[in-house]
Amino acid sequence: MSLNLGNIIFKPTEQYHLNDITLNFEPGKMYTILGRTLSGKTTLLKTIAGLLSPDSGNIQFEGKDFLAIPVWQRNVAMVYQQFINYPHLNVKQNIEFPLKQRKMDPNLIEKEVSDAIQKVGLKGFEERKIQELSGGQQQRVALARSLAKKAKILLLDEPLVNLDYKLREGLREEFKKLFIGSEASQSIFVYASTDPLEAMQLNGDIIVIDEGKILQTGSAKDVFENPANAKVAEITNDPAMNLNKGKIDNNKLILNNEIQFNLPSNLQSMPSGDYLVGIRATDLYLDDQGFDFQVDISEISGSETFLHLHHQDTKCVATIEGVKSYEVDEHVKINFDLSKIYLFKESGELHYSPYQN
Amino acid sequence: MPKLYTFIKYFCVILWSCFVIAPFLWAISTSFKDFNSVTGGATYIPWLQFEPTLDGWSVLFKPGSQGGINIIGPYFNSIFVTFTASFISIALGTLSAYALSRYTFKAGFVQNNDITFFFISQRIMPPVVLAIPFFLFLSTLGLLDSLAGLILVYIVLLMPIAVWIMVDFFNRVPKEIDETALIDGCNPFQAFFKVVLPNSIPGMIVAGLFCIIFGWIDFFFAFILTFTNVQLLPVKIVALNSSITPWWSLSAAALVSVAPLIVVAFVVERFLSKGNLSGALK
Amino acid sequence: MLIGILIFPIIFTVRLSLSGWNSFNPELDFVGIKNYIRLFTDDPRFWESFFRLSFLAVTTVFLQYIIGFALAHMVWKDIKFKRFFRVLFLIPMMTTPVIMTVIWRTFFHESLGPLNDFLSIFGVQPQWLSSPGLAKISIIIVEVWQWTSFMFLLMLAGLLSLPKEPFLAAAIDGASPFKKFMYVTFPLMAPISIGAIIIRLIEASKIMDTVFVLTSGGPGTATETSSFYIFIKGLREFQMGYAATMSFTYLIIMIISLTIIAKVLTKVLMKE
Repeated sequence: MSLNLGNIIFKPTEQYHLNDITLNFEPGKMYTILGRTLSGKTTLLKTIAGLLSPDSGNIQFEGKDFLAIPVWQRNVAMVYQQFINYPHLNVKQNIEFPLKQRKMDPNLIEKEVSDAIQKVGLKGFEERKIQELSGGQQQRVALARSLAKKAKILLLDEPLVNLDYKLREGLREEFKKLFIGSEASQSIFVYASTDPLEAMQLNGDIIVIDEGKILQTGSAKDVFENPANAKVAEITNDPAMNLNKGKIDNNKLILNNEIQFNLPSNLQSMPSGDYLVGIRATDLYLDDQGFDFQVDISEISGSETFLHLHHQDTKCVATIEGVKSYEVDEHVKINFDLSKIYLFKESGELHYSPYQN
Repeated sequence: MPKLYTFIKYFCVILWSCFVIAPFLWAISTSFKDFNSVTGGATYIPWLQFEPTLDGWSVLFKPGSQGGINIIGPYFNSIFVTFTASFISIALGTLSAYALSRYTFKAGFVQNNDITFFFISQRIMPPVVLAIPFFLFLSTLGLLDSLAGLILVYIVLLMPIAVWIMVDFFNRVPKEIDETALIDGCNPFQAFFKVVLPNSIPGMIVAGLFCIIFGWIDFFFAFILTFTNVQLLPVKIVALNSSITPWWSLSAAALVSVAPLIVVAFVVERFLSKGNLSGALK
Repeated sequence: MLIGILIFPIIFTVRLSLSGWNSFNPELDFVGIKNYIRLFTDDPRFWESFFRLSFLAVTTVFLQYIIGFALAHMVWKDIKFKRFFRVLFLIPMMTTPVIMTVIWRTFFHESLGPLNDFLSIFGVQPQWLSSPGLAKISIIIVEVWQWTSFMFLLMLAGLLSLPKEPFLAAAIDGASPFKKFMYVTFPLMAPISIGAIIIRLIEASKIMDTVFVLTSGGPGTATETSSFYIFIKGLREFQMGYAATMSFTYLIIMIISLTIIAKVLTKVLMKE
C-alpha cells in the first residue's frame, strides 16, 4: 500500500528540478514537504500525480509501476495554491465531478458529496456558483472535491498560502482533523509548504527538499531538533538559524575577537577547530551584561520584533518578545543561550546538536 | 465645461449618424425609382419629385427567364456558405488554438509563436496571392464553381481568425484547470470537452461573429472562384453593373443583402454591453 | 491521439498555404530571378502603387482610429439612446464592402448623384471619380465610412473592459475630463489601440473591393494600389510568375514595416 519513489530525475532545463529523489510514503501517514520556493516541491507533487514525467527513475504504488499508469487512472487528488475549481459548475457539481467521472452509483455520490460538504463546513452552499464564493470558501470546495474522491494519495501544494492569516490558522486545524479521517482510510497525505512553522504545526513526517535534492527526512521533532546540516537548519527555521564562523580554542568558544565564551559544559567534549556556530533567533536575548550589537533592521511581525544585528563580522537575527521600536544603528546588548548552541562542520554537516542524546 | 462637452458629443454623434445613414437613405429612395427619375438628375423625396414604384424590388424575385434578377438563389448560397464555413472554422480553429496554447511544439526550429504568426500572416497576404493557388487547387480537385470548393477556401481564410482569437482566450484559462480535470479522472479528450470547452463559449461566440462577418462580406474569392453554377450575393450584385446599370434594383438588392448583418450588429452590441466581448478581444 | 486531431487542422492549413508559397517560386528557375530583377529595376508602377497604398492605408487608418476612438468614447456612457447609436455605428462594417461601394458609386456620380446635386448649391461640382486627387479622396471616404465602425468596435470593447479603479482615483483627485482622458483613459487603452491599428493596417493594405468597384484603379492609375496592380498583372494579363514575385516582395515589405510600426507604436504609446 505504500508509495515508493526511486532515483527520480527530472531535468527539463539546464538545472535539475528533481535530482535523484528516493522516498517512501507509508499509508495512513501525514508527510510535509518543506522547502523554499523553487526547491522542487511542486514538481515533486506533480510527478506523483502524473502531470509530469521524470526523465529517469521509477515510482511504485501498491506494488505496481505507477509510471505506466496515466494521470486520469491514478487515484490521486490534488489541491493547488491558487483555488482551482471548475468555473462553469456550482459547488455541488464541482464536488460531484470526479465521482461522476468514475461512474459511481448516483445515490452513493449524493452521500459522499454531502459528507464532504459537511466536513469542510460548506453546508448550504451547494447551489452557489464558484465566482460568488470567497477565497477561503473556494479553497474549501477544492478540498471537498479531493476528499470526496477518497483518493489513496492526497496532494496539497501550499493550499493555504493565498489566504489571510486567521483563515490559515483555522483551516490548518481543520486539515489535521480531516487527516485523522484519512488515517483511518489509509491514505497518504502529502502537504507541501515553505513555512517551517506550518510544518511543525502539522506535526507529520517532514521531508526537507532544496534544489531538487532531499536533504533530510524524519519526524517533525527530529528534523527540528537535529537538522542534518546547515542548509536544513536554515530551511526549518523562520527566521533562519543564525550561522556564523567560529572556532573552539583554548577552552573557549570564539565568534570574533570580542565575542568569546568560556566553553560551556555541554561543549566540553568538542575537539578544537573551526566550526559553523548555529543558534536560533529565539535563543538570543536582551541582556545588559551581554555583547554590544548594532541594529541593521528592525522588523515587527505579529507580536514579536526581529532585530537584524551585526557585531564586526558576526551577523545575527534576534527575536524579541513584544513590539518594540528600534532605530537603525542603535546599540543593543545581546546574549546567547549557550545551552542551545549547534555546531556544524565547516562543510555544513551537523557535528553537535543540543538535543542529541 | 462639461456642458460644452455634452453638446459637442451629441453634435458629433448625430453628425456621424447622418454620415452613416446617408448611403442607406439614398439607396432606399433610389430603389423605388424608375428609369426616368434616375437618369433625369438627382431626385430625392418620393412622391414629391418622382413616382415611387416597386419595379426595382419585384424584379429581384423574378427568375432570370422572366427578365428578372433572381437574388434568392445567391442569397441562400451566401448564407449557406458563410455559416458552414464559419462553423467548421470555429471547430477546427478552437482545436488548433487549444493545441497551440497547451502544448509546446518543437519541430526543429519552429516554435509555438512562430506557428501562430504563420497563421496570422495568412491574413496579411493580398487576396490575389492566395487566389491563384486556390484556383489551381480547386480546379485540380474539380471543385471550381462549386459550393464545397468555396466553403473549403473560406475555411482556410477564416480559420486564422478563429485561431487567433481562441489562442488568446485559452491562454487566459489557467492550465491548472486542465490538470485538475485530468486528476479527476478525465483523459485529455474529456478534459477538453467537459471542462475547457464550456468555459470558452464566450470566446467561441466572438470568433464565430467575426467569422460570419468576414465570410459574408467577401467578394473577391467568390468572384474569382465561381462562375455560373454557384453565385454568391456580392458577386451577383456587382455583376449587375452592366452597360445600363439598373440602379433601382441595384439599390434594392443592396439593401436586401445588408439586412442579415444588421441582425448581427444587434447581437454584437448585446455582447458588448454584457462585457463578454471585451475580454476576448484583448 | 488528441495531439493528432489537434495537429490535423494546422497541417491542413499549412499545406494549403505552402501551395500558395509554391506559386511564389515556380520551378525556381532563372525566370524567377529575372522577375525580381525586373521588379526592382524596371517597374516603377509597382512602387508607385505601393506608395499610393501606403498613403491611402495610413490616412484611412489614422482617420478611422481618431474617429472610431472618439465615437466609442462618446457612446461609452452618459448619453441618451446609447444602444441605438452603438448598433447604428456598428452597421457599416457589417455590410459587404462591394455592395456598399456600388451604392457609393451612384452617390458620387457626377451628374446623377446626390452629392454633386447638393454641392451644386454652392456652385461646386467636383469630379469625384474622374480626377486623380478626388478619386483618392472618394476612396478614403468610402473606406472611412466602412471600416471606422470596426475601429469603433474594438475601441468600445476596450473601453468597456477598463477597470474602474483608476477612474475612481482620478475622480478623487479632482481631475478634469480632459486630464482624465490624457492620463487615465488613453494610456490604459494603449495596448488595445496598437492592436487595433495594426489589424486595420493589415486589412487596409489589402484594399481590393473598393478600388475594384469604385474606380477600377483609375482614373489612369491614380488609385491603383498594390493589390490591384498585382491583380491586373496576375489575373488580367496572366503574368502569374511576375504577380507572384510582386506578392512575395509585398509580403516581405509588409511584415517588416508592420513589425517596425508595432515596435514604434509600442514605444510611443506605452511610454506614458
